[in-house]
Amino acid sequence: MAVALAAGVFASTLLIAQAPSQARQAKSPWVYYPLDTIEGDGGPAPKRDLSGTWAGPGSTDAIPRGAAAERPSLTPLGQQVLSQRKPIGRFGPAGTNDPSARFCDPLGFPLNFIYQNRAMSVSTMPNRVVFLLQFGGFWREVWTDGRALPTKVGGDDRESLDPTYMGYSVGRWEVDYNFVIDTTGLDERTWLLRDGTPHSVMAHVQERWTRVDHNTMKVAMTIDDPKMFTKPFSLGTYFYRWVPNQKINEWLCVPSETLKYLQEQGDPAGSYPDAQQQRLGGGGRGR
Amino acid sequence: MRSSSASAAVGVEDEGMTMRLRVRAFVPMIAVVLALSTPIAAHHGDAAYADKPMEMKGCVVTEFDWMNPHSLIKFDYKTATGEVQKWTMEIGSPPSMTLLGWSRTTLRAGDVITAYVYQAKSGVKVGRTNKVILADGTVLADRDDSTPSRYGAEPPK
Repeated sequence: MAVALAAGVFASTLLIAQAPSQARQAKSPWVYYPLDTIEGDGGPAPKRDLSGTWAGPGSTDAIPRGAAAERPSLTPLGQQVLSQRKPIGRFGPAGTNDPSARFCDPLGFPLNFIYQNRAMSVSTMPNRVVFLLQFGGFWREVWTDGRALPTKVGGDDRESLDPTYMGYSVGRWEVDYNFVIDTTGLDERTWLLRDGTPHSVMAHVQERWTRVDHNTMKVAMTIDDPKMFTKPFSLGTYFYRWVPNQKINEWLCVPSETLKYLQEQGDPAGSYPDAQQQRLGGGGRGR
Repeated sequence: MRSSSASAAVGVEDEGMTMRLRVRAFVPMIAVVLALSTPIAAHHGDAAYADKPMEMKGCVVTEFDWMNPHSLIKFDYKTATGEVQKWTMEIGSPPSMTLLGWSRTTLRAGDVITAYVYQAKSGVKVGRTNKVILADGTVLADRDDSTPSRYGAEPPK
């Protein structure tokens, strides 16, 4: 124990040496300080409330890793669409056709919650719950006024609604700590998972959010999409932890910067498919 | 391989199973050691780059682009034969690098650094880095695992 403590002090000294500017400066309310931490559960969960700012599964290893997504059973159409996709991971930036990597296109729902949800705020309004996402600066509305999900999205008739990147969502509380969200109407240009797994516009995604305690929240996600999959499957489980100062940094995909990156680094580096199967979902980080 | 920690624990019900979330003290020793070894897979994977880094001393920074999705460090490198080569290497995004002690003003044109570069397999003079040593000896790592434990809990075993 004493050895571990001494090692910890030594390591802390090393770390501070790596971040001299932070150690010297007085704290500003505008700056994000990674050494500010919370510990423990913070007490019991408040009832029917996800409000606050949360560190997401893509932020640090301090966030517990949840269950990975199941491997889907694809329909022939699903297989055909997937075969045309060249995902990041198996291909470098030069070889991928992932629209978010090449063009900064929005990840959309649910990928923005599966792959890059590093942090987010949740705000409860009288008739909806709003998710404010760090990555990309997107927001998502979940209606809680009792309305039903739309049944016509993306069709040719005049009553049909437009598909959207975040879809159409309705939510309800089951007991006081479980918030269940149903979503449909998802833009088919978005990829369901990082490996290029597709979804159709009328896919039905269900999230079961649980406020475990004051400082911990988790969500389990499933999808049912008969057009692309032969049966429903799990998109994984994801944990969130309370951010003590409720400050998160801006994290955007800027098209002009992405273009510069691709021209000066990504494309010259080339693409060498490594063909390694990725762990999909459940948290874990990119950069 | 994660930081060891002695700590309190809270039980979290997860699909009927009790998952123990260890709430750890800030002990990033192993993480710091790892920070000085290999780079973590970038958001786009590392398949395009060499497996081993080159140590490049006396690099003169010509441009530092603090940007998404990956910041770029451009520098001149003089070879043993006196040839001056122009290199570009990437690090992480500004929000992730901020956690590791980097900032927009960490590097300026004219700074002399030692870079550890994983060159692109294509043979062009671009690469990734996992470590930069500034002229004053400051070591700046590019690895998320050296991010300190901000949120308390450790991944369940």
